[in-house]
Amino acid sequence: MEILLIPSLFALLALFVPGKVVRVFGLVGGLASVILTCVLVCKFQQNGGQAVTFFELAQNNFGFTSKMGYDGIGLFMIILTNVITFIILLSNFNREVAQNKLFTAMLFLMQAALLGVFTSMDGLLFYIFWEISLIPIFIIALSFGGSDRKRTLTKFFIYTFVGSLAMLASLIAIKSYATSFAIEDLMAVELSSKVAFWIFGGFFLAFAIKIPLFPFHTWQPSTYSTAPMAGTMLLSALMLKMALYGMIRWMVPLAPEALNDFQYPIIVLGIIGVVYAGVIAIKQSDMKRLFAFASISHVGLIAAGIIIFDKENITAALIQMFNHSLVAVGLFLSVDILEKRMGTRKLEGLGGVAKLAPKFGFMFAALALASVSVPFTSGFIGEFLLLKGLYTYHWVVGLIAGTTLVLGAVYTLRAYQLSMYGAPKMTSFEDLTWNEWLAYFIIMAIIVIVGVCPQMIIDTVGPSIDQLLESYKISNTIIK
Amino acid sequence: MKIEQLVPLIILLPLIGGIINGVLGKRLPKMVVGSIATAVMFVSFFLALNVFFQLNEATTINLFTVIRLDDFSLFARLLVDDLSIWMTLIVTGIGSLIHLFSMGYMSHDKGYYKFFTYLNLFIFAMLILILGSNYFMLFFGWEGVGICSYLLIGFHYSDENKGLLNGLAARKAFIMNRIGDLGLLIGLFLLLATFGTLEYTEVAAKLAELSPSNWMLFGITFCLFVGATGKSAQIPLFTWLPDAMAGPTPVSALIHAATMVTAGIFLVVRSNFLFELAPATQDIMLYVGLATSLLAAFIAMRQNDIKKVLAYSTVSQLGFIFVALGMGAYTAAIFHVTTHAFFKALLFLGSGSVIHAMSDEQDIRKMGGLKKFIPITHITFLIGTLAISGFPFLSGFFSKDEILAHALHHNPLIYGALAFSALLTAVYMFRLYFVVFHGEFRGSDHAKSHLHESPLNMTIPLIVLAVLSVIGGALNLPGKHWFSHFLNHNVMGLDKIEELHVDNSSLITLMATASILTLVALIGAYSIYVKKKSLPVEDSQLKGLAKLSANKLYLDEIYNFLFVRPIEALSKLAHQLIEIVILNNVVLGAAKAIGKSGDLVKKIQTGRTEWYLLWMVFGIIGLVVYYLVKI
Repeated sequence: MEILLIPSLFALLALFVPGKVVRVFGLVGGLASVILTCVLVCKFQQNGGQAVTFFELAQNNFGFTSKMGYDGIGLFMIILTNVITFIILLSNFNREVAQNKLFTAMLFLMQAALLGVFTSMDGLLFYIFWEISLIPIFIIALSFGGSDRKRTLTKFFIYTFVGSLAMLASLIAIKSYATSFAIEDLMAVELSSKVAFWIFGGFFLAFAIKIPLFPFHTWQPSTYSTAPMAGTMLLSALMLKMALYGMIRWMVPLAPEALNDFQYPIIVLGIIGVVYAGVIAIKQSDMKRLFAFASISHVGLIAAGIIIFDKENITAALIQMFNHSLVAVGLFLSVDILEKRMGTRKLEGLGGVAKLAPKFGFMFAALALASVSVPFTSGFIGEFLLLKGLYTYHWVVGLIAGTTLVLGAVYTLRAYQLSMYGAPKMTSFEDLTWNEWLAYFIIMAIIVIVGVCPQMIIDTVGPSIDQLLESYKISNTIIK
Repeated sequence: MKIEQLVPLIILLPLIGGIINGVLGKRLPKMVVGSIATAVMFVSFFLALNVFFQLNEATTINLFTVIRLDDFSLFARLLVDDLSIWMTLIVTGIGSLIHLFSMGYMSHDKGYYKFFTYLNLFIFAMLILILGSNYFMLFFGWEGVGICSYLLIGFHYSDENKGLLNGLAARKAFIMNRIGDLGLLIGLFLLLATFGTLEYTEVAAKLAELSPSNWMLFGITFCLFVGATGKSAQIPLFTWLPDAMAGPTPVSALIHAATMVTAGIFLVVRSNFLFELAPATQDIMLYVGLATSLLAAFIAMRQNDIKKVLAYSTVSQLGFIFVALGMGAYTAAIFHVTTHAFFKALLFLGSGSVIHAMSDEQDIRKMGGLKKFIPITHITFLIGTLAISGFPFLSGFFSKDEILAHALHHNPLIYGALAFSALLTAVYMFRLYFVVFHGEFRGSDHAKSHLHESPLNMTIPLIVLAVLSVIGGALNLPGKHWFSHFLNHNVMGLDKIEELHVDNSSLITLMATASILTLVALIGAYSIYVKKKSLPVEDSQLKGLAKLSANKLYLDEIYNFLFVRPIEALSKLAHQLIEIVILNNVVLGAAKAIGKSGDLVKKIQTGRTEWYLLWMVFGIIGLVVYYLVKI
């Protein structure tokens, strides 16, 4: 329970802390969650990877159980959330917004909501946290975002809200067959293939918009580029992971009867996104937009991998989710550093920074290389396994998805070189501050550690995936 | 020490050197940085020698498990046999010399420590590629050397004028390699799907048992070959290699001549047991190699940048080797890889010494008469030129002859084409040599006053490589074939292949023909460039074939027209048409339709998002309160 309480408490207290120390307060709060996460991981391993339930109210006649807990997959998402939140706090430390109470409070609220999403074992609770998470991101983007934010955010909001409503409808629909909203009850429901189709579809719409999958992505590039750095980081590194996680935990296990109908279309949409967004990213000049499209390209691959829904691909997808979060945070940090110090993030206005700011040049280069999945990075393993999975599904799918190897190199290296190589276009460029350097360092350290020993992650999530697939198989065989 | 301990150490030493220099290098004096990087290389080399003499049979060394899933595992495991240890000797041996050379060559460079870090890391990745016991390790090293190559080609990225161009060359190399890598990766997946494993030995063992269809074998080998065309610069993916000359010259010598570009050849030889069962791929390989060899030699005829000539020469020689692979002459291929590593590294380092002396000038039209000024470089460069041209009894003579003998046995037409390619090689190499070292000096007075022979740490590697280029042929003397026996001894697949033995009379005919061709080229080039003192003319004055050659057959332009521009246009089109016009309008249209149909609720649709948000919060709170009260 404390895992949720700490960020909630910090969110509340942040509103009353004096303005000068609020950023230190924020850092402490982020660190507290990270430390707690370490404790949880140790406990979890001591107990041999048993699923944990930490909160449950007596069931009422409506069927709302409010059960919360986590297994290996949930724990993995908790680690991701808390580590990324800390890195976001750290990289914002020298920004103006870090002095703002509202900003800090909203960041913690976001963290709490995300943790809620990842630990909900009750359908309605999952939905509630899912919706709550919209509030902080909306406030952050609205209060601290760039130009044209109202229009962009309205679009974003309506988009995701439509998806959420569809999900709510699906949840209520499936609940009408079950005794409660508890996940095990919902999973036990037998659905006719027609009903399953609509329930699956409702979830899919919500997740496809949030991920976003082609062609549900049109809110994403504009929202990413309008939001302030922290907002973009939250959206790309954490919020979209809610949807990918939702696919694994809720969408398929609840309505496995419809997996056959949806599997192929989702894989196709995923790899269309890989190529489509990758090709668009090639000629973008706004770096934030460029990496926004790159993100669509990368997550398309992950979504396609998840929906194959076997152990290998879910594991690979989880590794790649972790990788994507770290790389996205690092890349958006790099763009923000360029924008803050050069006044522009358009490639035409940039150039030669590497010469003036060697530390930044090195770290940005390391991130760019991690983003194209070179050996010793987590992306190398994740991408290898995902492409292998897609290839095994069908070789054409694997081949098309494989173009990400080439496209990724084209747009990432172009963006890096045009901004960093050549003769400097400015006289001076402040190199990394300590907090930026540390943020980069943590990101790179984790990327390399996971890249060298991915087995850590496999061991954490493996048994839970087995269990998930087992129960999914059971509910699937009952039908047949 | 035992092999099991030595081999991991050989691989780790360059990594350790790279890490030390990468972390501390900035604060250490240049002398220390260079010494660390060079020392680890020499130690690695001597350890490799030690293993080489100890090794009796193929040894597998388990390191750790990278990934263990239910029915699929990836291992970090090493396979030490005659092939891998031989390649290790080449990589660490030539690598040591080039590190030593770089200590002098890069001495004025600001990024000194970075250079040696990358160089050491490159060796590390290359050793993994060579010594790994499975295709996953190979792929790991394969990507690793690619990234080091990228970093080193674009090494001078901050250059005021050429920084962006250097970056572009690096990018081009990386992207073209990635296209090949995709082929290799698909090949790996095919292997996994067919054999359920990526270990070389297990694949070989299961081959007889599973006896996969010919189509499958063709698919696998073809995909592996696509990977090889990227890394080893064959048609259609070779145009990156000449551009890669933007990197510092020692890099060109080490990565883009002696070691990395032979990775594709290594891959084919490693997988020889697969290729032997896929004659269609072998034929493709043969003809692609032949075409590459001729095409690159043709382009090299009219290049005026000293490094570009050598780059096209490398492409041409690699094509030569692929012809050998296509004919199943694996030991001949590795033999030529070895001698080529000697003389091409020598030639590149020699060109580096020339460029160093010329204050960074690379245009041979501005050189001339350099033999007086840089005598050691001159002599060693001459030896390299003779060796690559197949001058009698130097190393290139024997290794080329081996391939030519196979070709004659295989198909006289191919022999003819190869011999022609060899003739072209001799012509452009002698042209290069005479224009650079003979005649009058044609550079500026300023450049002339700076002309100087390179320091000892640069000339020693030249001398060592020159000696190797002379005597390297002794490895596989006709009749003795020590090298063939050595490789056939314990390398998987090779032990089953019968060596081609040519009888003495045809051997003599072959050698005589080759010698005559070389001499013809020598005399021809001498009479044109020394006697008549004719110089390469301006590109604009060239006509016909010469113009084609000077313009590299317009291949870059053709690729741009066929691939780059359409994709860029597509990128813009997709963004402007699909993204902004179509998808956006669909969404807006849907929104409007809903808006119109929702006239009834118009009053609460204020269009102010804050209100929506507020209602949502109220709704959620209401729900929660409702349930809490209910309880």
